[in-house]
Amino acid sequence: MFYVTMFFQYIGQYMKTRLEYRTDLVVEIFSDLLSQAINLVFILVVFGHTDLLNGWTRDEIIFIYGFFLVPYALFSAFFNIWDFNERYIVKGELDRILTRPVHSLFQVILERMELESLFGACTGLIVMFYAGSRLGLELSWYDPILFLLFVLGGALVYAGIFVMLACISFWADARTSIMPMMYNIGNYGRYPVDIYNKAIRFILTWILPFAFVGVYPAAFFLGREEWYSYSFLTPVIGLLFFFLSVLVWNKGVQKYSGAGN
Amino acid sequence: MGKYLEMIRIRFLMMLAYRTNYYTGILIYSINIGAYYFLWNAIYSGKSEIEGLSAVQMTTYVAVSWMARAFYFNNIDREMAMEIKEGKVAVELIRPYSYMVMKTMQGLGEGIFRLFFFSLPGMVIVALIFPMEFSGDAATWGLFGLSILLSFMINTQLNLLTGITTFFLYNNAGLIRAKRVIIELLSGLLLPISFFPLWAQDVMRFLPFQGISYIPSMIFTEGFTGQEALQGIFTQAVWVILLVFPVRLLWIAAKKRLVIQGG
Amino acid sequence: MNAIEVKDLRKEFKAYSSRAGLKGAFRDLFTRNYKIVPAVNDISFTVKQGEMVGYIGENGAGKSTTIKMLTGILTPTSGEIIVNGMDPHKEREKFVRTVGVVFGQRSQLWWDIAVQESFRLLKKVYKVSDADYNSHMDHVIKTLDIEPLLDRPVRKLSLGQRMRCELAAALIHNPPLLFLDEPTIGLDVLVKLKIRDFLKEINEKYNTTILLTTHDLTDIEALCERVVMLDEGNIIYDGSLRRMKEKWAEGREIQFEFLESPELARLEAITKGLPVKWEKDEKSQVFKTVTGDDDELVSQIIAATVASLKVKDVKINEPSTEEIVRNIYERGMV
Repeated sequence: MFYVTMFFQYIGQYMKTRLEYRTDLVVEIFSDLLSQAINLVFILVVFGHTDLLNGWTRDEIIFIYGFFLVPYALFSAFFNIWDFNERYIVKGELDRILTRPVHSLFQVILERMELESLFGACTGLIVMFYAGSRLGLELSWYDPILFLLFVLGGALVYAGIFVMLACISFWADARTSIMPMMYNIGNYGRYPVDIYNKAIRFILTWILPFAFVGVYPAAFFLGREEWYSYSFLTPVIGLLFFFLSVLVWNKGVQKYSGAGN
Repeated sequence: MGKYLEMIRIRFLMMLAYRTNYYTGILIYSINIGAYYFLWNAIYSGKSEIEGLSAVQMTTYVAVSWMARAFYFNNIDREMAMEIKEGKVAVELIRPYSYMVMKTMQGLGEGIFRLFFFSLPGMVIVALIFPMEFSGDAATWGLFGLSILLSFMINTQLNLLTGITTFFLYNNAGLIRAKRVIIELLSGLLLPISFFPLWAQDVMRFLPFQGISYIPSMIFTEGFTGQEALQGIFTQAVWVILLVFPVRLLWIAAKKRLVIQGG
Repeated sequence: MNAIEVKDLRKEFKAYSSRAGLKGAFRDLFTRNYKIVPAVNDISFTVKQGEMVGYIGENGAGKSTTIKMLTGILTPTSGEIIVNGMDPHKEREKFVRTVGVVFGQRSQLWWDIAVQESFRLLKKVYKVSDADYNSHMDHVIKTLDIEPLLDRPVRKLSLGQRMRCELAAALIHNPPLLFLDEPTIGLDVLVKLKIRDFLKEINEKYNTTILLTTHDLTDIEALCERVVMLDEGNIIYDGSLRRMKEKWAEGREIQFEFLESPELARLEAITKGLPVKWEKDEKSQVFKTVTGDDDELVSQIIAATVASLKVKDVKINEPSTEEIVRNIYERGMV
């Protein structure tokens, strides 16, 4: 309960700061839209040269992309702590965090949130509905519930991976440049994983399970029954990875306390 | 000149110090190239060529684009934004060198480091896993070398431009991100420009972005040869010169603003 | 009750050394050299509730490391710490509710938002009730004179303004124990005075224990009865400031200025039999003599001198704390 109050307190503060710099806010939202558009353009251009991607149609791929945008938006809004190393370790801000009576990861997340990224979820829904209607997909009563479940699972997968990456800074003086590359890898979960070879499919499923943010859960709504078992694994993998990342984080904080800076 | 060379050296040493970065970097670049390889294979799915590029050429294109990116890519825009926000830039301005040149040199130091410790070993690893074609022609390699140096210049100038905007926008993280995604698409990193619809290609011909990735990668894969290659390099050179003007102008305006507002 | 109990506290760090040059840096990629350096070397001390203690030492003496261990940011390599009855690191979240921390060089407040918004957020973080907040903070805000700053964003404040706000922020939950790490660094005299008065006041009012590290010994003189002095990770002095002065003061110095400059030999003749040594400052015609701490002796010297010579001016100089501390470090006295 305390954490819920804290959450809304921080959101309140966040809004105030953001509204002070409205131009930045507009640029930020615009750049998000732009990058979403660019990814769509990529898909469209590719399908200008082929009709099927390993048996998947253009609209199906677009649908997967639309789905992907929703958990991704949730992730970017709350867990986008790519500059953790510079901000908190190098500059010692973590010391401040540790003198406060709230879990350290929770504080860092709340300080670094970027709520404007949530607009991406709207884009995602629009893209999904567009592609879905072209594919003639029907909506059942349980779809919205499963959708929510899958979206949360996907967001937690992303969150878990990025929190763990941030944790590297506790052990090594890694700079943040791995992070941008990770975003690229994250993109591959948006394509049907059966186009990749076994090694990469394995990585995207079990090591860096980005496939659970895009193609696996979306496959359920596309009625691709061969993937159903993976679809339903989404929330499980999400919880598992996030839980793991919190464990690693706690270990990291311990290590930080042991070694100092 | 000595001080700028020293800056390159220092950056190089700094990069060496970040070890984790180095190990993970190679791994991540390889996964990245691998994923694109399969994506393109699926797109080709039996077709022998698309827009004049064979599947093998395409793989080479993807690999070399990413490896070249390791050379020209840098975060100096983000660094500048940080230095400006924290007021460190005022200190830089009283030092006896040009801030712009210094930033470029830092980027170059980073780039050279990545070229030798990332791209070359990375390329060897990738070439062992995926089928690729390397030119045996020394001229191609020479032109490619010249071409990626020019890509570095163009990309750095664009970074400087976005970096300077921090003086005018309080928080330009969004702009920096927008610039990155635009460059990824329009430079030909994700897709060769020849894959785009014709009207889009016509527009892109008038933009500096193709000089960042498309031209050097086409030279490397011998999609451009002879006259075409030289023409590409000429285009790059023209952009390098043209971009000097906005960088200078914006920098002068920024300095004025710094003097008036005290940062 | 003791606010702080520290026993055999030790903290070691690994210090990496990089090899020189390009070749060295390349070798560092694979193996790195390091040695273990103790930053805090088996120290013990206790602080009673309501005490104000100055924790002093040169840069790198281990002050900040100790503070970080006492606040639960760092874990000790060995030894025991009990602060407010708890082990700071084990029960971190519960523990930090009972302490306030100010790092002089780092901001506790949120950079972009107005000061009062930071306060509001911290009030929630520390679960302070409205009633407690109002009764306590109204007073704090008034005493520190930060009322007009409350609606300004932190980044627009001057250092002195920010520091006062930092202090207020650390006190939102009215902690019984306050850690101040270099709270007056870089501040002008007026702000320093204001902060000192304020600290004295809350110490009296709430019996707040204060542990203060500083470079500025005038802070300590103004505030602390007791000092703990640290050198290379060891406590070299722990006791009252007065006793330290008495123990290490080089005695007092008496300065005479005469209407007509006498010969040194004349002065020595006048004070014959007394344990003194005269010195002459050529430029200003001032004669100096150093004595012990014996009041009797001081008066004898003055009496003897004044009886024989015409005196224009007499000064008795006490050595400053700063001089004493410098002496201690220079000689490595324990």
